[in-house]
Amino acid sequence: MPLPPTDPNAVFLNIPYDEEFHRLYLAYIVGLHVLGFTPRIASGIPGGERRLDRVIALIQSCRYSIHDLSRVELSPAPPATPRFNMPLELGMTVTWAKLHPKRHTWFLWESMPMRLQKSMSDLDGTDPYIHSGTAEGVLSQLRNAFVRDGAAPIQRMIECYRLVESNVERILDEAGTRNIYSASVFRELCFVSLDAASSAGDELQP
Amino acid sequence: MPRSVHITAPIDPLETRIKQLRIPKARQKQLRAMMDEARARMAREEQVRLEERIVPEEKPQNASAAD
Repeated sequence: MPLPPTDPNAVFLNIPYDEEFHRLYLAYIVGLHVLGFTPRIASGIPGGERRLDRVIALIQSCRYSIHDLSRVELSPAPPATPRFNMPLELGMTVTWAKLHPKRHTWFLWESMPMRLQKSMSDLDGTDPYIHSGTAEGVLSQLRNAFVRDGAAPIQRMIECYRLVESNVERILDEAGTRNIYSASVFRELCFVSLDAASSAGDELQP
Repeated sequence: MPRSVHITAPIDPLETRIKQLRIPKARQKQLRAMMDEARARMAREEQVRLEERIVPEEKPQNASAAD
């Protein structure tokens, strides 16, 4: 069976879909667009297939993936439950990359240094990027992880982020939803991020 | 230190990236207008901030000139 095609600029985002993560989610979307990448999330593709199949297809289609394991706390809503989706998707990605190292590279992200050694000791020897739970942290660490000649300076990335952030409420209102992770809102956030990125400087153009 | 990757793949043209999003043209226009409004608003706010920063510095000079 032939391997599925890989988009060299696509980045699969394995993140928690919760309210506390909105700002960081937005920072990932804006930052990746400014750096010339295309972020992809599980909710950003049409439904119909089983979720796990969609996730596997997504991982296979992306050259890179970011696994943000900063939410290891139990969910506040009863029953208090740990999140296992992200470690599961990380495990699938690690396997895929192990089988096809030239097709996929994965990165770990955390908000606190050293915590990963405790939460997932099997990954000892893999240093995560630490974003400290801030949008600025995500943006600067994206720039450190993905080194691209002529990349926009961090200040410009922050300006793009603020510009997009100022429109989030309006986009949600006009979409008639409060779910920032919905497929239609994700697409529009990508569009405005591209618009912000394209006006942020010549270095962002191909 | 976490590893980093040096990206050599060319960035897709802007039009291609926009097309992949499959957003109707009319909605694209609305979103662009929204972003232009936000840019104008942020530029105005920046101007106000700059002016507020300049005014306190100028005041003592004016005061001493008046003396």
